[in-house]
Amino acid sequence: MTAKSGPLVEAMKADPSHRPVSSSETSPGRPRPLGRVFAALGGAAALILGVALISSGSAEAEGQGEPREAATPGAQLTDAARKAGASEHTGQGGVEQEPPKAPRFSNTTCWEELERFNDTVTLETFRSWSAPLLGVKDPLVREYLKERLAELIGNDEGRASEVLGWAREASPAEFKLLMAGLRGSEAMGKPKVAAQLTSLGLDERLDIGRRAGFLDELKGLPRLEPAALEKLAHFAKDPASGEAGWVTTRAIGQVMKEDFQKTGNVKPYLDKLFTIAAESPDEPVRYLALEMEMHADAPLDAQATERLAKILSTEGSENIRQVAAHDLSLAQDKAQALEIYAKAFEAEQNLCVRWALFRFAARAAGKDALPVMANMAMTDSRFQGNYQDFERLYASGIVDFDRIWFSLPTQDPHGCLDPGH
Amino acid sequence: MTRRDLSMMNMTSTLVLTLSLLAPAVSAAGEAASADEAPALRGGLCSVEGLLAKIRRGMGSKSEAYKRYLRALLRESAVLLPASELKAAFEREYDPVMVEHLAAALVARTERGLEPEAMEAVAQRALADRDPSVRAATIRAMRRTGALERTGNMYERLVRDPSPEVRKEAATNLVEDNLNVYGGRDARAADTAVAAAAASSDPQVTAQILGKIMTGEVGAESVRKIQQLLSSDSAEVRAAATTALGGVPAAEMASARESLLGMYRGERDPGVRKAMLESIARLGFSSAVPELQRLRSVDPSLAPEIDAWIRVLNMNLQEWSLILREKQRLQQAR
Repeated sequence: MTAKSGPLVEAMKADPSHRPVSSSETSPGRPRPLGRVFAALGGAAALILGVALISSGSAEAEGQGEPREAATPGAQLTDAARKAGASEHTGQGGVEQEPPKAPRFSNTTCWEELERFNDTVTLETFRSWSAPLLGVKDPLVREYLKERLAELIGNDEGRASEVLGWAREASPAEFKLLMAGLRGSEAMGKPKVAAQLTSLGLDERLDIGRRAGFLDELKGLPRLEPAALEKLAHFAKDPASGEAGWVTTRAIGQVMKEDFQKTGNVKPYLDKLFTIAAESPDEPVRYLALEMEMHADAPLDAQATERLAKILSTEGSENIRQVAAHDLSLAQDKAQALEIYAKAFEAEQNLCVRWALFRFAARAAGKDALPVMANMAMTDSRFQGNYQDFERLYASGIVDFDRIWFSLPTQDPHGCLDPGH
Repeated sequence: MTRRDLSMMNMTSTLVLTLSLLAPAVSAAGEAASADEAPALRGGLCSVEGLLAKIRRGMGSKSEAYKRYLRALLRESAVLLPASELKAAFEREYDPVMVEHLAAALVARTERGLEPEAMEAVAQRALADRDPSVRAATIRAMRRTGALERTGNMYERLVRDPSPEVRKEAATNLVEDNLNVYGGRDARAADTAVAAAAASSDPQVTAQILGKIMTGEVGAESVRKIQQLLSSDSAEVRAAATTALGGVPAAEMASARESLLGMYRGERDPGVRKAMLESIARLGFSSAVPELQRLRSVDPSLAPEIDAWIRVLNMNLQEWSLILREKQRLQQAR
């Protein structure tokens, strides 16, 4: 199975140190020169972000599998990246320094007759006319084709349906183009398109990889109707679904986030995701099901909070317990959450899970969590320094957990970012 | 190896790699292709002249996808094209649309490690071109880049430009760079924005900047400038300065809170008062509840607003984004 979250990293994704990239105060979904964001965040946060990027985790779970940076040759070569590259060549102890290397850039291609293609292409001619460009290594023209197809589909359900029909049998490269065009079109949110995508994704006559491709596109829908959600959740937790189960779980989570932001509707999705987290035999799927709540930051009622408490006490994977600890910080009943954190900490043996329980208790209840955190530090003396840091910061008047986190001397005091831990 | 050598090498490799892909139906040489005939898509080298000709024609296209493609193509090709040709084309161009494209290409060269003079030429034109539309276009070309790191006090000068369009574009750059290039967490970007906001005598520009940037990394001097703007004659400047004060660094929070609480009673504008309530809430979270209760009697018309804040703050949420979201949900439910 590919495209899985890096569990340890994803637990760190839970921290607000990741917010700058997806914060509501910034522009969600817009491309950003990450190099400068790294520089702006400072070492520790950059480390977390850097590992997150390497692990192909949260960006994918957030549905940013094709960031525009990747489609733009040379765009990664920011000041920060150059500085980082240059430091590798810095001489030490009298060793002669190598001269800085001149930057290298990918070539670009100018296409003859692309102008005529653009002016005269129709949905009917798009497939045959774009075919010669499918295999070329020109990300700019590939991006153009996706966006042009989206324009040709427009807001027309019939056209979207026709493209979905082509996609059943298309080659992998063309499938990717067709799905990207559909995703970018205004017709994507139409009920008929949603129904057809769901139906294709659950069609057992199709290859499982192709089904995963269709199911992945569900993430662009504004909502999932109860019947579809039921079927999809059932499919997601089925061990036979493999990769397709993972992308379906991600799609449910992303639709939840969208629907919650627009209408406040979250409970049906959260119920299903927590069921997947409790019942799927596939660890990455269970992990992802909980991670999606992390991205939505939806408040948890008493029942959802209890379900998380159960996961914390029964889940065998340390990484999943860390994500559950994060999710618990969204509990509406702070006293209930603090009680669960305290009990889980006592029963927990793993240092990194304990660190997650410790810090997310603060995210749940702020300085009201300090007595519980003090007890944790009494139970495990390795947390005494951490307790003093949190106590000092709250005493200084900082109230926002986001700021508390960035004010800590280190965001990784127990070496939990080390993949070998 | 000189940059010229490298450039030649790139051009040669492009030639070697030049693709010649024929679509199923190829038009006969010399015949005008009909609309239903597949275009013969041949890949080749890009030149300054060829790209500019494509862009001039393409800007009339109904397809936004094609226009975006052309913009990206010039920007990405900029580092491979001869700098002198690009710069000469930029200098002789007076159509604001084309100026913006060429300026973006020059900015891309500097941003990606080539000559600093490329961006300097753009900055110079933003400050000195006679046509305000051209000045505005060059400013847009520096948006979402690191231009503020290389251009000294350019933004403080731009926000005093005689043209409102130019001032507005400069303010937009400062806001978008603060949020999207630096993630709101860079002191230099934040201080540059505050300095420009304070330097401008255009209330709309000052308000546009202060109302939208993140101020969590500003220095003490910037906080003092923002506090001075609380006494501005313009209500929109006072409201924006209030919003900016709500996000200042921990060391400045107590001072910011005192400023806002001190001015609330004397403030007459309901919009500014509303902004003050929000920043007081932001600076104190649940500890702001007693202060908000005390302010309830000052302006009875704002009592429902204060009650809404108290209700949300009592949820004991620990991040401002979560508090704001709940406040918005509460308002929608009303």
